[in-house]
Amino acid sequence: MSGSASGQALEMRHVSKRFPGTIAVDDVSFEVQAGEVHALVGENGAGKSTLMKMLAGSYDDYTGEIAIGGRVALLHSPTLAKRYGIGMIYQELSLARPISITENLLAGRLPRRGPFLDKPRARAQALELLASVGLDLDPNLPIEDISQHEAQLVEIAKVLGSSPSILVMDEPTSALSREEVERLFAIIGDLKRRGIAIVYISHHLSEIFRIADRVTVMRDGKKIATRPIQEVSREEIVQMMVGRSVKEFYRRDERLIGDVRLRVRGLSRFGFFHGVTFEARRGETVGICGLSGAGRTELAKVLTGLDRADEGSIELDGKPVRGSTMAAFLEQGISYLTEDRKTEGLAVRLTVDDNILSAIVDRLSSAAVFSKARGRPAVDRLIGELSIYPPDPSRTVGNLSGGNQQKVLLAKWLATEPKVLILDEPTRGVDIGAKMTIHDSIEKLARAGCTVLLISSDLPELVGLSDRVMIMRKGHFIREMPYSECSEESLLLAANGDTGHGTGAS
Amino acid sequence: MSEPLRAGADTRDLRAGSFSRIMNTAGAYGIAVLFLALGALLQATGAIGNFLSAKNMLNIVDAAALVGIVAVGMAFVTYSGNFADMSAPTTMGFTGYICIELLRYGFVVAIVGALAVGLVIGLLNGFVVGRFKANPIIWTLAVNYMTLGIIRLVWVNKQIYPDMQGSSAPVVALFDSLYRLRFFNLIGLPLVILLVLVIIGQFVLARTSFGAKLKMTGSSPRAAKLSGIAVERAVMISFILAAGTATIAGLAVTSLARVGAWYNGAGYDFKAVTAIVIGGMTLAGGRGTILGVLGGSLIIAILNNIMTLIGINTFSQDMVRGAIFILVVGFNALSLRRLGRDDA
Repeated sequence: MSGSASGQALEMRHVSKRFPGTIAVDDVSFEVQAGEVHALVGENGAGKSTLMKMLAGSYDDYTGEIAIGGRVALLHSPTLAKRYGIGMIYQELSLARPISITENLLAGRLPRRGPFLDKPRARAQALELLASVGLDLDPNLPIEDISQHEAQLVEIAKVLGSSPSILVMDEPTSALSREEVERLFAIIGDLKRRGIAIVYISHHLSEIFRIADRVTVMRDGKKIATRPIQEVSREEIVQMMVGRSVKEFYRRDERLIGDVRLRVRGLSRFGFFHGVTFEARRGETVGICGLSGAGRTELAKVLTGLDRADEGSIELDGKPVRGSTMAAFLEQGISYLTEDRKTEGLAVRLTVDDNILSAIVDRLSSAAVFSKARGRPAVDRLIGELSIYPPDPSRTVGNLSGGNQQKVLLAKWLATEPKVLILDEPTRGVDIGAKMTIHDSIEKLARAGCTVLLISSDLPELVGLSDRVMIMRKGHFIREMPYSECSEESLLLAANGDTGHGTGAS
Repeated sequence: MSEPLRAGADTRDLRAGSFSRIMNTAGAYGIAVLFLALGALLQATGAIGNFLSAKNMLNIVDAAALVGIVAVGMAFVTYSGNFADMSAPTTMGFTGYICIELLRYGFVVAIVGALAVGLVIGLLNGFVVGRFKANPIIWTLAVNYMTLGIIRLVWVNKQIYPDMQGSSAPVVALFDSLYRLRFFNLIGLPLVILLVLVIIGQFVLARTSFGAKLKMTGSSPRAAKLSGIAVERAVMISFILAAGTATIAGLAVTSLARVGAWYNGAGYDFKAVTAIVIGGMTLAGGRGTILGVLGGSLIIAILNNIMTLIGINTFSQDMVRGAIFILVVGFNALSLRRLGRDDA
């Protein structure tokens, strides 16, 4: 560990990075002290990722100066960055799935005895690293045999194994359940005590207030401010991020809740969820709350015709849903916004309008002839309604910011004019501006009589948008909570199996 | 709250690289013209003779017709994100054998029979690649060799010739005249077929619901499936179209050579893929036009013609074609990677 006397582990002085046509990072100065957690916040496209990539050694043409432990360092390649003691933990996993935990953890520095692998020592080192993140796993397991959240912690262990003096974490909690987030925070606390400087990037302001010592806000490639966390409020941070005053609140209009639209009885997919029964009415937003692995996405996939149910029935407007394909369900008015926009939701190489119209190709065709022009009014209307930026239907989706991509994904499903819209994490990883636009749009949709099923790990979102919330745990609906009883705390307790106010499992 | 918040700066707003722009539909024709100019230049310097003669131009167009027919169908496979149909060469050869064998039962029987066999191969490819997500290159390559095995087994490694003397002589004569038929003593039947296929293909790709679904399928099969698109069916149809046009080209070659031979379609797999890629269709799928593929086929034909006139042997010609293929794919990948989108 190259701990420095001055305590300044990392200092970036007037750094800039240009791309053709834009300046992604514009004259930013930023420093982190040893043993400090320094949060970096900003909307998507604010320049956080570029700044982080700079530290990772992805660019050899940034301007300005980066000093590590007081000495100027040229971070012109990932190898150099590593040598300077910078460890990166990305949102996406960088583990090789078919090989063992040990080999992943110790990649590039497996212990040897002569020309041979020193297996006992490798195992011991792997176990030690796993223990450092509180995992109790057989290190011989391949990554593909452990869960997503375990893999996320293995990823962290892997980076810790290279004993970094500076650790950059980009949304490290996005794939973690509540318990695991707590575990991660404990690990971060431990790292702080060991004098490691941590740059923590997150959209979750509550996390930042939990663990950060200071926060730096970026907007449009520029640094807006750095503040000690005690001296700043949530509202101030949000205001700095979006550039104007925003009150993060959910307005509740009087809802007109109509007849039963969706009736699900005894629905099971063995091994995933069992005996799920509920009704949802016209104009109603029903939240589905549960920890990761509770079976929420699996339920959504059956409700949309992607997977078959093993037993049970789904009725729409009093009639059983016909057919067994997603196309058939879609035709009858059930749409599904998937969790992962990049691989499951959008074709990122295609344009905004191609994507928005992709689920209604048949409706825009007569006698097999497809008319994109017929879809044009809908595209223009949705781009306007969701303020997709830039408002140009011929843009390639991959070139938009994350928040705008998510709006395109929502637009695609709004274009199907659904009777029932199932939303799976509709605002994961998007900036506050996009989130508010999306929430607004969901409210509007419900007011227009659509039934919305909202699956979300974002508790304020569930509380704010749902008329009632179904709590799902280990594949069962264990409880239903009306709006009046919903709060972040009550949902969290219920999802963790604590029946709290006395209502038992149904 | 309905008032839009100011969106964050789109820092990833980067335009397409100059190379991708050159490689669009119009670009292929530009390159074709460049190659024509090269040929003219070589003729002017005396390196080759007769490049610009009417007869040679006709040769080029005829050669382009054969490559083009294969490429137009295969382009659907490329567009669907499945790279190429490597079974095209023996599909061409095999259907030629079938046709010659069936000529004794009449002209229509022979043509329909050959097409039917071709479509079965396409159906098989499409089913396996579409349903079981087999690697398209490996699978179609395997089918190519399996079909070759069948040819060698059934016809004991022999070429077969249509019976010009027997009772079916008029039918054979008709088949024989297919390739040689020229409208206005100029435009050969294969060229007419190619142009018709290009028009139909371009329409299907750009204007039909199938084309729109195929675009989505080729760009992101997972997202297409989760948009309610029958991805397997779209892939299956693409392979059937590829096998269909390969069969048509196979019949043309068989009529030209007056022989059913396993090598009738040799080299057409790679020629077609090269034409497709030069024509601006990316191997990643979902991008490109059939008109561009026509341009690509012209380029391949002009290039072959020049090389033959210079006296470069076939093996060296293969090397040049391979080098060009690598260049095009490489540059394309490079220009996309520079944009941070390594998807070629």
